[in-house]
Formats: sequence, structure tokens, C-alpha cells
Amino acid sequence: MLNKQQVEVIIFQALNSLNDERGPEDQISVDENTCLFGSEATLDSLSLVSLIVDVEGAISEVSGKEVALTDDHAMSQEISPFSSVTTLTNYILLRLSE
Amino acid sequence: MEGLYQDKNVLVTGSRRGIGKLIAEHFLLHGAKVFGFSLGDALITHPRYTHFQVNVANSESVQKGFANIKSVTDCLDIVINNAGVITAQYSMIMPTAAAQLMVNVNLLGPFFVSREASKVMRKKKWGRIVNISSMAASLEPIGDSIYAATKAGVATMANIMAKELAPLNITCNTLAVTAIETDMLKQLSKAKIDEVISSLPIPRYAAPDDIFNVLDFLVSERSGYITAQTIYLGGVN
Repeated sequence: MLNKQQVEVIIFQALNSLNDERGPEDQISVDENTCLFGSEATLDSLSLVSLIVDVEGAISEVSGKEVALTDDHAMSQEISPFSSVTTLTNYILLRLSE
Repeated sequence: MEGLYQDKNVLVTGSRRGIGKLIAEHFLLHGAKVFGFSLGDALITHPRYTHFQVNVANSESVQKGFANIKSVTDCLDIVINNAGVITAQYSMIMPTAAAQLMVNVNLLGPFFVSREASKVMRKKKWGRIVNISSMAASLEPIGDSIYAATKAGVATMANIMAKELAPLNITCNTLAVTAIETDMLKQLSKAKIDEVISSLPIPRYAAPDDIFNVLDFLVSERSGYITAQTIYLGGVN
């Protein structure tokens, strides 16, 4: 099973991919506190969708396990998995452990 | 025309017979590498044709089909959502299973395929998705309540996906075909079809080239500014 650091690397890679397509002024910070969704997030909706697709694909590729990040389970969490990189990491680890 | 699609990877659903087979053969003729999805095994034999048995109405089956494509290439340029089924019957006596099958294959099928295709296309930031619809969506003939609704539905779906995917340079359009002599048409009353055909502004059956002509336009490099459009053949509108 993937550990916390490996999951973070996957999310960071997805954020870096987004940054590759952005100008110097629009770069997203890449750290565990980066806000992915909500009023403080710097990702627009399509960028968030791209991030989710990238992360789901990479998790599946590396772990061999499908993790849906936008199903009812994800949407019903008290704290949104997309609040930050940390919450998303924790959510993915939770789903991988099930 | 010969090498028009020589650098393109194309997916055609419902490629085993009918319009889908004709479309797959058209792209092969013009140099494309073609992937075909259908429930049955391949009926096309060509060095650039790869067939996968996929039930487009089942999202897991579609995902497996795309995993198979991705094992061959990470690039998909063009998708033709053609797979479809029809049962024409008065609504009061339409079997539930037939109604559900039409929704699953004709509407959810293109959704599942387009969803997975757009994930692949976004990497290259280029893609063309064309849904095959029907004149029934506009003519609303008796007996086609569910079939016509699913075919109108795919056009609406394409229009919305067109907005979502425009930033990724992926276009989504719909080609609404008139009757063409295929296996699917044989399931319907010839008298009924002839009656519909005779009422069209151009009262004849569609020829394969009528379909290829519009497809070539919609998927061309130059059609990057054409999206969320439905083109009807034969003067239907």
C-alpha cells in the first residue's frame, strides 16, 4: 500500500503538471497546505478536474487500486477531501486502507 | 484524401456492422489507426484496425476498453460515438427492458466513452468527439419515444461537454443521420421508413458518403472553431 509521502508526491506531480501550463504569475504553490477547493483555492474548476483525473490515474497505476475521489463517499465527508493537499492525502490513504 | 488521417488514432463504437463499420473503414481507407468497440468480435480485418469487445452501456467495460487502448497508445484524436440500438413501439406497449437498453446504449454509452476519451485527449490538448444521432430526434416519429429522446439527449450532452472541453481544444458535435440501409434499419417497417423518407426535403436514403462528408468536416484540423453543433442530413432540422 502507498504511504503518506508517496501519495503526496502523486498530488504534487499533478499540481506541477498544472503549473507547467500556467504563466509565472499564476503558479499554484506546491506544498501540503495548498488549498485545492473553496474560496481560498487558486485552482479553477477545470484545473481541479484535471488534478482529480491525474491523481486518480496515478493512484490506480501505482497501487493497482481504483480510488474514486468524487463519489458520494468523498462528497459526504465532514471536511472536504479537497480542502488541502493534506486532507486529500489523508482521504486517499483512508480509501486505500478499506 | 488518401493520407488524410495517417497520423490520427480513431475510436469508433459499434464498429462491427452498419454505419459504424462503414465509418471505421472510411478512416482506415484514409490512413488512420482505428480502434473499434462492440459487443461482438471483429468483422474488420486490417493491419491498422484493433478491435475490443466492449459493452458501451457498462462503465467498467468501457474503462477496460480504454485501458486496452492505453496499452497500445497514449494518444486518441477522434472518437465517433456510433453504437446504438432501437426498438420502435407504441409507448403503451414498449417493453421496459427495451426502453432501458436504449437509454443505456444510446445515451449513457456515449457519455462513458466521451468521459474516458476526454481524459486521454486532454494530454495532447486536441480532440474531436462526434456523436451519431438520428433524424428521429427532430422528426419525433410515432413509436420512437425513447429512441428519439436518447438521440436528442446525446446532442444536448455533446453541447454541454463542448463547453466543458473547449479549454482543452476538444470539440464535441453531433451528426444526425437519416435512414441508411443497415442491419438496424431492417428491424423497422420499410413502409414506415419510406413514408418518413418521402417527407424529407431531400427524399432519399442517405449514402455512406453523405455521412463521411460531414464527419470529415467535423473532425478536421480546421474545425477547431466548430463545437456544440448538430448537423442533420437530408434537410431535416
